[in-house]
Amino acid sequence: MGKRITIDPVTRIEGHLRIDCQVDGGKVTNAWSSGQMWRGIEVILKDRDPRDAWIFTQRFCGV
Amino acid sequence: MNQRIQGLGNRLAEVSRRDFIKWCSAAAVYLGLPAGMGEKIAEAATAPQRPPVLWLSAQECTGCGETLLRANHPTLETLILDVISLEYYETLNTGAGHQAEEARVEAMKKYEGQYILVVDGSIPVKDDGIYCKIGGKTALSLLEEMGSKAFATIAIGSCSSWGGVPSADPNPTGATPVHQIFKDKGIKTPVVNIPGCPPNPYNFLGTVLYFLTLKKLPELDAELRPKFAYGRLIHENCERRPHFDAGRFAKQFGDEGHRQGHCLYMLGCKGPETFNNCPAILFNDVGSGAWPVGTGHPCFGCSEKGVGFHAPLHSPARPIYVTPPTLYASVFPEQGKGASGTAAALAAGIAGAVIGAGAAMAKNLGKSSEDGGEEK
Repeated sequence: MGKRITIDPVTRIEGHLRIDCQVDGGKVTNAWSSGQMWRGIEVILKDRDPRDAWIFTQRFCGV
Repeated sequence: MNQRIQGLGNRLAEVSRRDFIKWCSAAAVYLGLPAGMGEKIAEAATAPQRPPVLWLSAQECTGCGETLLRANHPTLETLILDVISLEYYETLNTGAGHQAEEARVEAMKKYEGQYILVVDGSIPVKDDGIYCKIGGKTALSLLEEMGSKAFATIAIGSCSSWGGVPSADPNPTGATPVHQIFKDKGIKTPVVNIPGCPPNPYNFLGTVLYFLTLKKLPELDAELRPKFAYGRLIHENCERRPHFDAGRFAKQFGDEGHRQGHCLYMLGCKGPETFNNCPAILFNDVGSGAWPVGTGHPCFGCSEKGVGFHAPLHSPARPIYVTPPTLYASVFPEQGKGASGTAAALAAGIAGAVIGAGAAMAKNLGKSSEDGGEEK
């Protein structure tokens, strides 16, 4: 039932965003947003010298 | 041509024809071209046929796009409205979803073999590349598709040049640079790397202008970096270099040496092993001191493969080569050392530096002459 609308990529933002909408009877009944890119910075930070952490965390987003 | 430049000047009311020609001449000098090439650059930059550019974003943070906003000659709007024709860039496209995808496919078809592909961000290859997707396609498949039909590719930023942040140990997503993907897939499109995190916008713009003017890519080093920008170590042009040679170091943040603006080598500055032009062209057009070392922080080698995001921030650099000064007097003479140790330190011009560093540099002295020879 209903219709699924996907907007991917969402432009004019930083990063790779995807939006999915479930439309039933002309109404949005559910919606999902998802980041389509993962670098694993949390994994990279593990066991690292804490003084090095900012180099990575400040590069989550360059905007 | 004059008319065209005048036309450009009219569109950008704040830029006079004189300023524009002046800027083009400065660009020529920066690129290592004769000053007379300024006119040619002006001609190329105002040509009615603007080269089509497609911009692919993979594992990136948009810092490389942002860095172009900090360029004043030309500004980003001049670049994308007057110098190049930006056909596809996720961050700036008006249409979203399938409209953006259509624009990409259409531009690729229309300009096959002619467009410049700019890539920011590394390409994840682990688990079939699922860690970066655009419109349901992996960055890996998009790069293959777009790269094979491009005239040339510019990898902007450390991520696309050699892996950058995402490739840091343990490289959870298999982040891979563009030139490596091309090699693995047998794609012959030439690649220019503009590493840096973010790179200086003028290193990118300089490459674009060089291409527009001479219709070929600039001379590259072994790491595919343009020699006009990455030909020398940061250490060679650093304003704190005399302190290094004289053995004056900051040993802790905020200590006397740090407050005096001494060399940051002992705080882990990676200038001695990082090839870039930061101290020469600086950042943001705000005057002297506008670069990391100028603000009192050691360079962490963001643009250098195997250094930035790989070597610990505060571990000492491994100097690649050190061009020695003729003979500096030692500021703090070493005491109680054997003759050979003192001689080695003196020869390297850094008497009083950490034990071992002097010897390591003395060992490298012979290399400096051959390395110096590669500069044109």
